[in-house]
Parts: sequence; structure tokens; C-alpha cells
Amino acid sequence: MASIQIKDMSVSYNKGKSYVLDKLNLDIKDGEFCVFLGPSGCGKSTAMHCIAGLLHPASGEIRFGDTVMTRAGAKGRDKIFVPPQERNIAMVFQEYALYPNMTVRENMSFALKTKKAPKDEIEKRVSYMAQMLSIEQLLDRRPAELSGGQRQRVALGRALVRDPQVFLLDEPLGNLDAKLRDQVRYELKKIQLQLGITTIYVTHDQTEAMTMADHIVLMKDGHIMQQGTPNELYDHPENEFVAGFLGTPQINIFSCEVRDDVLDAGDFRLRIPQELRASLAPYAGKRVDLGIRPSDFELASSQENAIAAHVDSIEPLGDAYLIYVRIGEKVVVFKYTGEHAPQDRELLLTANMKKLHLFDPQTQERINQ
Amino acid sequence: MQNDIARSKEAQQAQTVRVKPRWHMTVLHIVYYLIMIAFLVFYMLPFWGTVMTSFKTNSEVMTTTPIMPPRQWTLEGYASAMEELGQPLMTSLLVTLFGAAGSVFLGSICAYGLSKWKFRFNNVFFIALVAATYLPFQAILIPLLQTINALDLYDNVWGLVLVHTVFGMPMCTVMMRGYYADVPDALIRQAMIDGNGVWQIYRKIVVPNTKIATITVFVFQCTSIWNEMLFALVLGGYDSKPATIALNELAGTMAAEFNVQMAGSLILALPVLVLYIFMGKYLISGQMSGAVTAS
Repeated sequence: MASIQIKDMSVSYNKGKSYVLDKLNLDIKDGEFCVFLGPSGCGKSTAMHCIAGLLHPASGEIRFGDTVMTRAGAKGRDKIFVPPQERNIAMVFQEYALYPNMTVRENMSFALKTKKAPKDEIEKRVSYMAQMLSIEQLLDRRPAELSGGQRQRVALGRALVRDPQVFLLDEPLGNLDAKLRDQVRYELKKIQLQLGITTIYVTHDQTEAMTMADHIVLMKDGHIMQQGTPNELYDHPENEFVAGFLGTPQINIFSCEVRDDVLDAGDFRLRIPQELRASLAPYAGKRVDLGIRPSDFELASSQENAIAAHVDSIEPLGDAYLIYVRIGEKVVVFKYTGEHAPQDRELLLTANMKKLHLFDPQTQERINQ
Repeated sequence: MQNDIARSKEAQQAQTVRVKPRWHMTVLHIVYYLIMIAFLVFYMLPFWGTVMTSFKTNSEVMTTTPIMPPRQWTLEGYASAMEELGQPLMTSLLVTLFGAAGSVFLGSICAYGLSKWKFRFNNVFFIALVAATYLPFQAILIPLLQTINALDLYDNVWGLVLVHTVFGMPMCTVMMRGYYADVPDALIRQAMIDGNGVWQIYRKIVVPNTKIATITVFVFQCTSIWNEMLFALVLGGYDSKPATIALNELAGTMAAEFNVQMAGSLILALPVLVLYIFMGKYLISGQMSGAVTAS
């Protein structure tokens, strides 16, 4: 196992005219489950491919533990590149990339055979991993004879059987249906905990990231927008992008004016709580963006800080209701966890004042700590 | 309820009603078939005449028309033809097998490099290879003869093998590059991560997954080398005379022995025919997959 350090790594596909990754700095601890999260084209897969050695960065350094795997941009003898086959990593691709000419057993033992591991050892490891992933009965089949879920398990097994120092997963659940995805997600996390392999997982699905990660790296346009534990990112988003990207349904954003002791959104006013006053002092008379998560609304019991809302539609989720309400002209989502959906079309809502997120409209950075 | 039943009956009838072709369509079909039969006869008649003549005695050849079946079936023509073609056939077989194997092997390696690895001037190499496939062999015949002479490979089977290997390689590369492009890049990356280098990936992943492509290109190459005459005529002397040249000499040396010539032609055509009959389905599927990739 190994920790991973990335220092000032930049990647360009057009000889430096523009950068897909721009001075990326990252520390992944030994045994950690790290998720690279972000929208398509944010550079998360590129970063993973650099770690795997499948791509050469324009500059920067990648270390596994104390060993430098890639050092680019440096002149002369300092330039280092360890090829992927010598990095002792395992990787699972979204398209699984199972060798069609080999059986499941041969697929799983391929890397070990390449490393010239003893036959008994290969057999032992393959059957252990097959048992762990419940694919023993598939060992003599070829990939074409397997379903999507089975192929996915084989791809995982093939990666895990090698006992790698780093485990890389590039959107491995992308091709599975929702039910199977939940199941494999749970199994994957369990196996990772059991084996304690440093893992990097690339996804654009924030649910996968929130449920599996020890550490999330949220990226956009080749930059890290925020990194930390899932709760840190969810509860204290450092900017509006992070707040909007994490959480389903999306956070509701209101443009408000800071006036005296209130946040004035036009259609409603909220009295600024004591703990936010210091942060908002520099914004007196100016506008700020107020973010309230759908789950941080509730039905008001008094008129104080109440927001008048007109119900547009109600979506039952089983254990809760998603209520789309109109506040003035703006459509806002509110997650209601009561047993029965409210019957009235006109509601009074109140926001959880301890969970308000305030952002600077210009910089999009968080205002309140 | 009754309405429903009536409707379903109508639907059934609608399904089983046959559209009666109009009279002019029927006439058009008859004309099409007549044209096709005419073409079939036009193409098959010479072949039929060849087969019939090959089984006749020399005297019968003189007295009957070529398309008439022999009154007395004999293998005399084949025996005489084999006397003349025996050694050249062996030469052709050797040149074809080694020449095709060599060009497919080299072409496969080039195609692998060009389709799966990025390097400087990758496209320039490929364009040069495509250009080489259009090169008329007559244009380079004299320098080629000088080179082969200098290498002391004139009138030598291995000289012909070398020439066919080299001149077949560009076409093999162009064909195989299309097939190799079908091998997903993810497989190559996966194999790298599994600890394999460039050659191991070629040997263990690319070649085993493109067997049909290899067979297709090999058969294509075998056919063109087997039927080739120009290099054979210029570079093959008396000792390394391939069958195509020997067959041509049959026409010149044994005037009017048409049964022997026809038998020789059929002997020469047989391996290619057999190859196409047994490999036909691979060839079609192989050519199709290449075509799709190219588009």
C-alpha cells in the first residue's frame, strides 16, 4: 500500500496552449478511499490516467510513498517516468476491458502470470477473490457469455487479485443498472475496507462519492474546487459550485440584499442570526447569494422568519416528499419528511438558520464560516 | 364483443393478404433473370470448356468443340501437366507461403504500431505506406533486378520470397491497421497496467483477438502471390520458376496440346478455389469489419 502525493501537476493536450489540469496539488493517505468527483471534462479521468502512468503530464510530480513515479517539466536528469507496468497498480475501466480471448480465470490470472507468480499462488488468489465476489461458477466462461454485472465483478476481481499498492477505478459502475450499482457499491467499499488498499475512484455521480469516499476531491475545469470528507463538502461548501454539485435535489440559491439586520430576497426576509453578523458586516448594503438545501426547509410554526410559498407540485419519494413551491417567481424545492404531504396550496416555510450558506456573488466564495 | 371479433378477423385477413405483383413487374423480373442467366453462361462457359477439355485426349480435343463433354474421360492431360508443373508448383507453394507469412507478419507489426501507438510522423509513415500500395511494380523492376542480383538472389526461391514479403507488406499494413483500430484502446491500457510491455501486448492481446483479420489478409496475400507473374518472370530463372511461368511455357512449348494446358490451368487454380471455398465466410466477415472501421 502507498500514499500518493501530487505536486503542481499540469496536463495539456495541445502543447501548453490550454491546460486540462492546472497545477494540481493533492495528498492521498495510505489506505484511503479517495473519490475524484466532477462534471464531464473537469479533468478527473486525466488525473487518474497520469497517476496510472497512461498519460505524461506537462509538468509536476507524482509520488507513491517515497518513490517518484512521474517527474515532468524538470530539465535534464531529474526527469522521471515509471511505466504503468512497473507501478504495481490495478485499474478498472468503465468499459471493463476484459480480454475477450481469455476465460474469466485467465483474465484474473493474467497479471500474475505476467509477473511470473508461482502457479499454486495464482490459483489460490484467483479462487479466493472469485469466492469473495461470488463469481466461482463463472471462472470457465468467456467475457462474451457474461452479463454486465458479472463482467463488472470480474473486472474488479482481476484488479484486486494482484494485491496492488494503488487501486484505480474509472467510473466502474457507469454501465450498471441502478439496483446493481447500489449492491456493487456496497461490496466495493466493504472489500476496500477489508484489504486497506489506497483507492482512487473517478465518478460524476455525487451519490457514489458521498457514500463511498473517505476523501472527496471535487474538480471543475482542471482545478480542485474543494477537497475533504463528504460531510465537510456537504456542510461547508467553500463555493457556490461545490454547494450546487453536492446534494440531490440541488441547493436553492437566492440573491439577497444585506440590509440592517435582515437578508432581503425581495419575496421574503430573514433576520440575520447573531453568528452570521460578523461575516456579513462587510456586505452591508450589498447583495449576497443565500443557499438553503431542500432538506433545511420545514413548515413554519410561527410568523417569524417565515417564507410564504405556493405549492406547484409534490413528488412522493416513499419516505419523504419533494415539494416544488413557488416563492415569488422562483421555483424552490423543499424536502418534507412528514408522514402525509401537506394539503394546503399556500404554505409558510422556515429555513434552518444554522445551516444557511452565504456566498459572494462575484467570487462565488463562501462568506460564513 | 362481436365488433371486436370482426375487427380481429379483419386484422388477420389484412396480415395474410398477398400483394399481387403488377404485370409489368413480372415481365421486368423475367428480363432481369434472363440477363443474369446470360451473364452466368458468358462467365461459366470458358470454365466449363476448360474442365471438359482437360479430361479429353489430345486427338479428341482436335475433333470436338471445347464445351462438348469428352466421349472418353482421361487424366492424360493432368499427368502430362504435372510432369511439367510439379517442381514449379512446389516453388510457387514455397514462395506463396513464406512470402505471405512474411508480409503479413511485417504488416501486422507495422499496423500495430501505426494504429495503437502515437509517435512523431505516425501519419506520414501511414501515407507513405498507402502510396506504396499504388506503386506500379513495372516502375521499379530494373533497380529491383539489380538489387536482387547484387544480393545474389536471382533465380533463387528466397529472392522471390523476399520481394513478395517487402512488396506485400504495405497492403497488409493498410488492411490490418483497419482491423487493429477495432481493438479497444482500453484493452491495451489494461494490458499495460497488468504489467505488459509493447511486444507482450501485441503477442498476447492484439494478435489473439484479431485472428480473423490475420486469416483474411493471409488468404488475400496468398492469392495475389500465387497468381503473380511479373516478379516471377523477371526474378525467377530456370531453377526457381513458379507455376504461373511454367503454365505460360506450356502454351508455348506444346503447341495445340490444349488438354494439357487446360489441366495445368485447373491445377493452378485449384488451391485458390479451395482456399476461397473453405475460408469464404472468414473473408467476408473480415472484409466487412475492416470496411466499417475504415468508414
